[in-house]
Amino acid sequence: MPAISAQGLSKSFQVKVRDPGLRGAFAALFRPRYRTVRAVREVSFAIEPGEIVAFLGPNGAGKTTTIKMLTGLLYPSAGRVSVTGYDPWTGGAPFKRRIALILGNRQQLAWDLPPEETFQLNRAIYDIAEGDYKKRRAELVELLSLGTVMDKPVRQLSLGERMKCELCAALLHRPPILFLDEPTLGLDVSAQDAIRRFLTEYRERYGATILLTSHYMQDVTALARRVLIINRGRLLYDGALDALVARIARTKRLELVLGDGVTANALAAFGTVRSFHYPNAVLEVPREAAAATSARLLASLSVADLSIEDPPIEEVIRQAFAEGAENDDAEEEA
Amino acid sequence: MTAVAWTRRYGALIRNAWLVDLQYRAAIMLWMIWGVTEPAIALGIWWSIAGTGTVGGYARADFARYFFAIMLVNQLTIAWDSWYLDRWIREGELNFRLARPLHPVHEAIADNLAYKARTASVIGLVWLLLALVWPTVRLPFAPGRWVLAAVAVVLAAAMRFCISFTTGLLAFWTTRATAIMEVHGGVAMFLAGRIAPVSLLPPAVAGAAGVLWFRYMLSFPVDLLTGAASGAGAVGRGFAGQILWLALWAAACRLAWRKGIVKYGAVGG
Repeated sequence: MPAISAQGLSKSFQVKVRDPGLRGAFAALFRPRYRTVRAVREVSFAIEPGEIVAFLGPNGAGKTTTIKMLTGLLYPSAGRVSVTGYDPWTGGAPFKRRIALILGNRQQLAWDLPPEETFQLNRAIYDIAEGDYKKRRAELVELLSLGTVMDKPVRQLSLGERMKCELCAALLHRPPILFLDEPTLGLDVSAQDAIRRFLTEYRERYGATILLTSHYMQDVTALARRVLIINRGRLLYDGALDALVARIARTKRLELVLGDGVTANALAAFGTVRSFHYPNAVLEVPREAAAATSARLLASLSVADLSIEDPPIEEVIRQAFAEGAENDDAEEEA
Repeated sequence: MTAVAWTRRYGALIRNAWLVDLQYRAAIMLWMIWGVTEPAIALGIWWSIAGTGTVGGYARADFARYFFAIMLVNQLTIAWDSWYLDRWIREGELNFRLARPLHPVHEAIADNLAYKARTASVIGLVWLLLALVWPTVRLPFAPGRWVLAAVAVVLAAAMRFCISFTTGLLAFWTTRATAIMEVHGGVAMFLAGRIAPVSLLPPAVAGAAGVLWFRYMLSFPVDLLTGAASGAGAVGRGFAGQILWLALWAAACRLAWRKGIVKYGAVGG
């Protein structure tokens, strides 16, 4: 049985619209107009236990709305959801004990109190036995390196420390399913890395299933082999990250360290020169011709070093979003 | 869940509410001063109007006891939930509360218990100390009536909680839920007996206060405590009114939650 499954999941909102200016404001007062926004449209997928899946999409694509439906915060307009066998809207407390929801821009920690107080509160709310609580807290504090922040009020913690404490508070009941919405939002590079290492470790230790959204591609490449791409509420891609790169990226990048006398013009005969800062250069060539072009380059020009790379993952994802939007526009016009 | 687990949950929620309160000593003092000022001003006005005679059967000493009781009972029954809920709903703070295996209403109830225990104990103590030196504000010794008054206070607190919670839930539909509560507070100032005993209001207004819920949310428990409401008929009608309006507001609260949560937009992350 999948840990998380969604079938035909849809959510529409009524949004009040009005014309700009005073006139528009008055008109809206007496004759309010509404527009239906289809935030999520017939999204279906299944995630197996222990998988880490990244949910990607531009702002407003429907990622957070989907996560909120999966966790029972939002009622869907249509479709069905099952999370560890529970319907999120009728699963009640037994369902909620099996999930953790972390929203990067909203926190459950009491702002004025040390994090320990929120941990104690969660201990009571989730009815965690004293022995289990002590063991889990010690383990999480160690894994997240929280030893020095436990007695400081949350308002005095750095953003990274706060997110680590959020994770600790959300995982004390040891949930098998984690929903993480932008868990590394606004964090510096080392804090992001710490969160990624922690999530990997938590999943390895407890076989947790993790669905996360992030705008940081490092999160995606470090944590998830599988990605779900959503744009304008539609699921555009569900599969391995490698396969997406192979499908979307029709080119490869040859990263070169050039020898004496090689010019940009000479390189242009082999492909599109993306950058040229002698002795470094980046050449883009058709994917299927990468090996042959590399061989010709090495034979014809003075090249000290050559590596064949996929385009940056950000570029691939951007292309995937753009393709999805184009298809969507074409479909709507038709 | 066992009773022990529920006790532990409520204990933890109340403890956290007190810990947060203790961070803001100045705020506590300001709320206390606010709670005392309004009845003190009303008492001052009625004290001077009554002079050496009576107004509607109230002499100076009756007004003093009435407004001391108002001060205490108001603190024991007041509910701020509409303001909290409005913020939770509009700013997305309800999200993590919905993801926990504990209905958000329990946090609200625990916050009420924490607040009421804190403020009412201080006001009760001040009243007690004052009664030692100023016999006028002493209540006649009547344990049976005090027990009835305590029951009426619990019913009034439950009703005011339901009113405040229901009004806060209107934030599922409107961005002006607190404005509705402000209007309610303004009407309650007169009809619930905060400015003057309900019996001193014009008959039509006093009648409206008795038919609607206002009298039962403050004035009735106060009258029970001071002895102004006595006799099986008056006391029975008072309790019947409290129970009826509590049941109606509790039903409204439940309905608003069930309808509102389906409509919830889960804004703000």
